[in-house]
Amino acid sequence: MSEKHISSQFDLELNTASARLMEMGGLVESQLRLAIYALGQFHQEAADEVLEIETRVNSLEIEIDREISSIIGRRQPTARDLRLLIAVSKATANLERAGDEASRIARMVKSITAHGAPRSLPASELRVAGDLATALLRKALDAFARLDVQAAVAIIKEDSAIDEEFNGFLRKLITYMMEDPRTISQSLDLLFIAKAIERIGDHAKNLGEQIIYITRGTDVRHVPLEAVESAAR
Amino acid sequence: MTDSSLAPAAVAQKNAIEVRNLNFFYGKFQGLRDVTMDIAERKVTAFIGPSGCGKSTLLRTLNRMYSLYPGQRAEGEINFYGQNILDSKQDLNLLRARIGMVFQKPTPFPMTIYDNIAFGVKLYENLSKSDMDDRVEWALSKAALWNEVKDKLGQNGMSLSGGQQQRLCIARSVAVKPSVLLLDEPTSALDPISTGKVEELVHELKQDYTIAIVTHNMQQAARCSDFTAYMYLGELIEFGETEQIFFKPKRTETEDYITGRFG
Repeated sequence: MSEKHISSQFDLELNTASARLMEMGGLVESQLRLAIYALGQFHQEAADEVLEIETRVNSLEIEIDREISSIIGRRQPTARDLRLLIAVSKATANLERAGDEASRIARMVKSITAHGAPRSLPASELRVAGDLATALLRKALDAFARLDVQAAVAIIKEDSAIDEEFNGFLRKLITYMMEDPRTISQSLDLLFIAKAIERIGDHAKNLGEQIIYITRGTDVRHVPLEAVESAAR
Repeated sequence: MTDSSLAPAAVAQKNAIEVRNLNFFYGKFQGLRDVTMDIAERKVTAFIGPSGCGKSTLLRTLNRMYSLYPGQRAEGEINFYGQNILDSKQDLNLLRARIGMVFQKPTPFPMTIYDNIAFGVKLYENLSKSDMDDRVEWALSKAALWNEVKDKLGQNGMSLSGGQQQRLCIARSVAVKPSVLLLDEPTSALDPISTGKVEELVHELKQDYTIAIVTHNMQQAARCSDFTAYMYLGELIEFGETEQIFFKPKRTETEDYITGRFG
């Protein structure tokens, strides 16, 4: 398929919407990196910065959606163009929520440090999972920029690795809490953080699904992995 | 080679017209190349494609409008409820009463609104005055024009607005009770409100009629049709359910055209 429309202005509008999505993705990625860093170091300032970025992410979400409505209203896009715009709109929602999860982590870190850092708890394992999720989101954004279907499938598969990490961590926390009930309150904080990381992986996976939707025109949400793979072929 | 070639067959569906291996020639120039497709009964089938792609040519073969011109000929089969209308024994007047046509520019006859409708009916039927009155009212109501003209049936049809004239032409086609209506860019000379009314009419008429519409306005095809055929250089490139064609076309050529990448 030729890449250019007869109307170069239309090309420009579509490219701008995609570029804005990448800009938003970059912001969310840095939110995540800061949040995971804050978690590892119990670093107050890093946590504060995560929350500051959140307002910019939120306003970008609104701005991109407004641009998309305007393109749909004025251009009546069809086929792949229409799918791209629908997918970008969904992707902004996913990124915004991933950013919310980063903020949630930052707030938890602040609350935990306020009560004195619990060095005895397995926070470092959370950092590993957090790094995994951040890397996955970055891969998802890269794949989205290139509309790389094979990378999208890999991302969807990789999300289940994060889900397994979460389950393992949950079992470990339960052991800690049983051994020493005084850690229950802080363990619960960590549990919420772990859940936030797991959700970030889900959002990366959703971006992967949108890539397949744009390029193949098949909706692969809520279908088994084999169906995803066959749609991507 | 067409994708999802016959299209309507996907759902159990009766066909009004079955086109088979149709080739069409304007003298030496070949306007249609091996077109095979089904036109489903009581559905709207839209033809889209760039200028000169053969969509109007195809529409004009469906009621043999081309036979008016020397040097134009069609090969293949066009089966209208099982009967090949390309057969030389075909009665063309009868055919055009059963397969009516409305053109791009409104073409009311220079006579009263009433006579515009009655004229065609008189050719085929011998109705009493009161039956003819009923038929005129019925046809104008079908074309959603009755309320606007019922108090001025004696006025000249040319005095109506462009949109009303086009609906008058549709009423005139409907009046002889055809089974198929061919619309050749019926709204390209109309303003958006008149266009909206004609599109609404298409939607209502398909309860009783099979409709084939040629349009340059892709959004119009997307809005009013059940099936869409994309044509290029005399070939049927892709034919399928309208939703599929506009959301997930199978052929790159179709996608390039409907997304405005055609260059």
